[in-house]
Amino acid sequence: PSRASSSLSLQAEVFQALQRLHMTIFSQSVSPCGKFLAAGNNYGQIAIFSLSAALSSEAKEESKKPVVTFQAHDGPVYSMVSTDRHLLSAGDGEVKAWLWVEMLKKGCKELWCRQPPYRTSLEVPEINALLLVPKENSLILAGGDCQLHTMDLETGTFTRVLRGHTDYIHCLALRERSPEVLSGGEDGAVRLWDLRTAKEVQTIEVYKHEECSRPHNGRWIGCLATDSDWMVCGGGPALTLWHLRSSTPTTIFPMRAPQKHVTFYQDLILSAGQGRCVNQWQLSGELKAQVPGSSPGLLSLSLNQQPAAPECKVLTAAGNSCRVDVFTNLGYRAFSLSF
Amino acid sequence: MGAVTDDEVIRKRLLIDGDGAGDDRRINLLVKSFIKWCNSGSQEEGYSQYQRMLSTLSQCEFSMGKTLLVYDMNLREMENYEKIYKEIECSIAGAHEKIAECKKQILQAKRIRKNRQEYDALAKVIQHHPDRHETLKELEALGKELEHLSHIKESVEDKLELRRKQFHVLLSTIHELQQTLENDEKLSEVEEAQDASMETDPKP
Repeated sequence: PSRASSSLSLQAEVFQALQRLHMTIFSQSVSPCGKFLAAGNNYGQIAIFSLSAALSSEAKEESKKPVVTFQAHDGPVYSMVSTDRHLLSAGDGEVKAWLWVEMLKKGCKELWCRQPPYRTSLEVPEINALLLVPKENSLILAGGDCQLHTMDLETGTFTRVLRGHTDYIHCLALRERSPEVLSGGEDGAVRLWDLRTAKEVQTIEVYKHEECSRPHNGRWIGCLATDSDWMVCGGGPALTLWHLRSSTPTTIFPMRAPQKHVTFYQDLILSAGQGRCVNQWQLSGELKAQVPGSSPGLLSLSLNQQPAAPECKVLTAAGNSCRVDVFTNLGYRAFSLSF
Repeated sequence: MGAVTDDEVIRKRLLIDGDGAGDDRRINLLVKSFIKWCNSGSQEEGYSQYQRMLSTLSQCEFSMGKTLLVYDMNLREMENYEKIYKEIECSIAGAHEKIAECKKQILQAKRIRKNRQEYDALAKVIQHHPDRHETLKELEALGKELEHLSHIKESVEDKLELRRKQFHVLLSTIHELQQTLENDEKLSEVEEAQDASMETDPKP
């Protein structure tokens, strides 16, 4: 009997090792207290890592493993965001909410699970992007059905549907001043939607501009970030900085590999995509630094800027592996957390 | 309790003067020589022993004085170190504040740099477009040309109209003349016919 159980545990170990080998981490989210990081992978699992433990001076190997891992969705967890008490995760067609304080205890259940109204009941499109709009306390979902759905977080009802994209939507960004939502998708267009009138106010067809289009890569927009007057987007076309009011591309960043995540940080633009490195760009187009990570490709970057935990202010990057790289200072990779 | 303090005393004494050479031995020798001197008989020996004892005593006093001075020095040294320690603490706190200040300045400088770069990016795009004055001038020149050309067109059209009217007048006059001539011819034909029929009529 002992040999049978040991071979079973050996099988389980082998299975786990194989799982880790083929894992992709799609999304990350920082807890409202700033001390924990949630990561969602392609098996539908969410792992919670303790950043404060891993960053402390007495960190051991176990501190780099998750505090808790649970099965959240049946399909991959493509996108996650955190409100001040909840973690919202979205995957194949549905969005679920979890309480942060509950998740740290084992065996937690989701608070609610909702599906936006799809056009046909047969459709189960994946939800690629989630965006919180704090001014109206709502959540915007976008993905495979080419529409943006708005859900009111208090009542849970779906209030608006924004139609206009002709192919599925990859990414969302919030332009706080207006307030407007930007969405980028497979159809190659970045569309700006005014939330008050629920109409499309501006369309930028990136692939139609010669300077940045790269037809051999396709026209898809994989990542978006905005800084009210400026917008940076990348994917099939080159990573470009746009001035929104005049809809002109001002700077093209010379990066051949398609970028999957981009964000503004202080006076820099951080981007990551195909290729191991996190790239740091100046707004003038110069590459300031390229810091290699441990995954062969990166899909998401997360900057922990929660004011409650300034000692956990790190950049974390995850992608085509089971590891989340932690950069304590943008210049080098300090260590990696692992599923 | 008594045993503990004895141990402590022994430990301390061993620490200070364990090997037996030095002040402790000197004091023991002094005590022994004092006892010997008390018991000795002769004057001469007694006097020399007395001198020897005095010198040993003064040696002991000297070493005690030295130890007291060293003790004083240690106390003062401790005070000095306390002072230096407090000063260093102050300067550490000051350095922390300076670091915080510098961090704020860095953030400010980064914001300025970002604004400058945004400005540069927009300026580059604007430079690609031609200068506004030139464009305005070109627009003016083109406007003038347009006006000039439209004037010419108008005058040509007027001329055309005039010529058309003149031709029209000419043609209508010609037609009238033609009509008149035809009428005249017809009239003259009719007259001739009448004349011819009048001539043939009276004969029968």
